[in-house]
Amino acid sequence: MPTVAAAQERHAVRPGFAYPKDREVKIVVFRPDVRVGTLTAGGLDEPNADWTATARTLIAAEIERAHGVQGATVSFVGEPEGEDGVRLAQYRALFGAVADAIMIHRLFVGNRLQSKKEGLDWTLGEGVSALADATGADYGLFLFTHDAYGSSGRKAAQIFGAMFGVAVIPGIHVGYAGLIDLKTGDVIWLNADPQMGGDVRTPEGAQKRVGQLLDGLPGRPVEAPATAKRN
Amino acid sequence: MIRRILSFAAAAALLLAPQSATAGWKAIAQGKPIAVAKTGLTVTAPSGVWNRWSLRPSKKSELWTKDGLALNELAFYSGVTSGEPIFREVDKKNSPLPKFNSKMLAPDVVALFEASNRIALKTSLFSVDSVEPAQFVGQPGVRFTFTYSVQNNDLVRKGEARAAVLRGQLYMITFIAPSIYYFDNGIADARAIMDSAVLLPVAAK
Repeated sequence: MPTVAAAQERHAVRPGFAYPKDREVKIVVFRPDVRVGTLTAGGLDEPNADWTATARTLIAAEIERAHGVQGATVSFVGEPEGEDGVRLAQYRALFGAVADAIMIHRLFVGNRLQSKKEGLDWTLGEGVSALADATGADYGLFLFTHDAYGSSGRKAAQIFGAMFGVAVIPGIHVGYAGLIDLKTGDVIWLNADPQMGGDVRTPEGAQKRVGQLLDGLPGRPVEAPATAKRN
Repeated sequence: MIRRILSFAAAAALLLAPQSATAGWKAIAQGKPIAVAKTGLTVTAPSGVWNRWSLRPSKKSELWTKDGLALNELAFYSGVTSGEPIFREVDKKNSPLPKFNSKMLAPDVVALFEASNRIALKTSLFSVDSVEPAQFVGQPGVRFTFTYSVQNNDLVRKGEARAAVLRGQLYMITFIAPSIYYFDNGIADARAIMDSAVLLPVAAK
């Protein structure tokens, strides 16, 4: 919940949403889009292939370990080839743009569009049903994380910037996850945070990141079980 | 160009910047003529789904959106004069933007728009798909369509624009949206707004 007018909310659910109770629905988790790199002193975001590979493996493993959703079976799909692969890549990219829009115009309260002040009225369009046909799932879960750790030069720039009253962002740690109705394309739930925690290059950090990404997902166990597990 | 702020990294920076909280969005009234970019360029929206951003990307431009700038961007450029770029310079020293020239003909304006986008978006994946004569602000002008994507992103965006040079100044409206769903969903509205564009005398201050 926002504490001031310009506060950011972490997640939003389509009003009135509930999983159907007459059957167990199927959620498919698409391969997380993971990018890790370095943010240079000049502000250049340089990808790091080794860090990205490590983080991708750790995050995927953690999601498989901690994916329980009440009232739904959760399955994972690899990266399809050919036409299906191209289609998934395009929808993954479209999800990124939609998530960007929701993060800026819905979760960031001070930046809401007048025509969309309430609810969660965003979609990927009905064409996304091709992913339902390919997977047999009712809902699709997309995940994205982007980390760029400050280089030593950037850390120096931060120190000098602070001396002269100039703010230098130490790094990028953006993440979001979204549940999509694969029949209609409607966004059911989105969780986004421009300042995520957890160093995704380590197992502990990846565990923390996945916990943050899935926080608030409809049907997820809340608080008590998660705390108990970690203790 | 403002589209660059919607990269993931910049979106984070935008959200972290307290001053961005002051940027606001106003609803566009349906069927009511609206002067854009504080100029005589006046348009009428056929539906009440558009929002205008109080933060203008440059003195001579203005942005509207339905669902968010990443999903549908209606940009107005009004009265760009000789020697000015159509977008705001981002890295003038290393990547200067090309400048408009009042002697430009319609095909030159299309080439200027393409070159400006290639630099502003840092992409080589930009193609102009069609160019044809069309009326705009009551003048002979040009209608053109284009497609692009940016580095490290599979999202393909489509665009359609109307432009005309009048009394040595450039007037243009562009609509840009992801090729999946959002372009088709918004283009009819965008075309109606482009069709409605007129150039009215600016009231003396």
